[in-house]
Amino acid sequence: MTAPVRPLPQPSAWSAPFWQAARENRLVIQRCNACDEKIMFPRRYCPSCLSDDLGYVAAKGTGEIYTLTTQMAGPPSGFEDLLPYVIAVIRLDEDVQMMSNIIGPGALSARIGDRVQVDFHPVPGTDTVLPVFRLAEED
Amino acid sequence: MRRTTSAVIGIGEVPTGKYPERSELDAAVTASREAILDAGLSPRDIDMVLPVGALASRHFNVDLVFSRLCEELGMNRSAKMNCQIMAGGATSSAVLAVADALIANGQAKRILCVHSDAVGSLPRQAGIDLFATTGVSEEWEAPFGHNMNAVGALASQRYMYETGTTEAELAAVCVSLRKWAMLNPNAMFRTPLTIEDVMGSKLVATPLRAKQCNMLADGAAAFIVADAAEAGSHCEMPAYVRGHGSLVTHYSISQERDLARLGFPEAAREAYAEAGIGPDAIQLASIYDAYPVWPLMSLDGLNLCRGERAGAFVAAGETSPGGSLPMTTNGGMLSQGHTGVGGGIAVMVEAFRQLMGKAGERQVANLVNAVETASGGTWMDSHVTILSREAA
Repeated sequence: MTAPVRPLPQPSAWSAPFWQAARENRLVIQRCNACDEKIMFPRRYCPSCLSDDLGYVAAKGTGEIYTLTTQMAGPPSGFEDLLPYVIAVIRLDEDVQMMSNIIGPGALSARIGDRVQVDFHPVPGTDTVLPVFRLAEED
Repeated sequence: MRRTTSAVIGIGEVPTGKYPERSELDAAVTASREAILDAGLSPRDIDMVLPVGALASRHFNVDLVFSRLCEELGMNRSAKMNCQIMAGGATSSAVLAVADALIANGQAKRILCVHSDAVGSLPRQAGIDLFATTGVSEEWEAPFGHNMNAVGALASQRYMYETGTTEAELAAVCVSLRKWAMLNPNAMFRTPLTIEDVMGSKLVATPLRAKQCNMLADGAAAFIVADAAEAGSHCEMPAYVRGHGSLVTHYSISQERDLARLGFPEAAREAYAEAGIGPDAIQLASIYDAYPVWPLMSLDGLNLCRGERAGAFVAAGETSPGGSLPMTTNGGMLSQGHTGVGGGIAVMVEAFRQLMGKAGERQVANLVNAVETASGGTWMDSHVTILSREAA
């Protein structure tokens, strides 16, 4: 029996630039050209003013952990071999939030409030690149 | 304060647990029959049926949408409307609010609300994967391994960080619920549970351990909502619907910006004002759980702990049998079992049962007012409902 495949993003017309940027190792945030609202996750219309004039701007790629958990058991299908893994909600410095994984040194002892820096994880065997985060190095 | 327009006059429930031989239909009509008979009615006295959403079987859910229960229960050509209400775990509060409004507008006199599901009989991994889609963004969250236990864990971490609540206090919620479940013949888990048992169970998603994660179960419950003006003629002690408040705060939990509170403070303010009943006049809290953090957050938002931290309040035994604020006396989803959307329905039906004086061994003495809460999906919304033995 083959291992279950982990769920992958199926981009929409309006989110495709986000995932394309990730493939180029860039983190971008959707922005409304009419009212300047920064939008996460990408939407069809601006949730602030309902404009359809939306674009993308580069994110700094830094932020802090708003909350997190280390999944130790009982993962959804496709994640069995990745245990233990860290799921986190990141509050980016642009003041929008996204879900991601914390990877790399210290990930399993990361805490709320820790500073993080984006990295990019190509999912093996696919053309998907996920934005993930590492603990930021001390200044 | 709002004039009371409706009351619950009958309840029914089948035991919660793993019942692979019991069909969802069997459980639905059994719970409905019990509720209709409990209200002293016959099926043709019911003018509307509001079945709530079922998750395990698409076919059964389609039957609920397409009036199967009206036909099974002898309501063809007497029921005016069969309409599914679905707000995930918040359906309990939502369906009651809809029924109350339909009655207030004169659209109906007696409404049957019913839930049945068999999520407990799904294979374990299918259950995990099903609930990894209920309010989890397929594009933005699922690719990172998100799932329902992680939802409870992410909220627990933030709540502990902001309030200083300890892991032992989270465990105390499970113990309080278990003490009530031991008195509930319909509960799935009825053996004694200690803080040490909870803290010694295996880690699932930090800080949550296995015994802080609910167990999926099969179950069904039903209730009859009637015009308040006639409730007293059907039922010795109706459970009057006094007030409701609610707020949608997110779809995906990663977009929630106040994860230690959600919308409970706002919902509680609205519900207390509509009811004309404040937290000091509440004797019973029937609180949507599923994970131990949510009752604590709800108790805080509802201002029910007399200024204490909810974790300390629960750990001191205040919500257990004999405590000053009996909480979720059916044992909640953590001990009665999590029947999908019905976990919340069971918590609400328990509040009706207590107000109607039918809670047997776990009957709360000197009860007048109760509060019920619910939340759906990844705690997308915060609902607060005030119920009472007295109409306004």
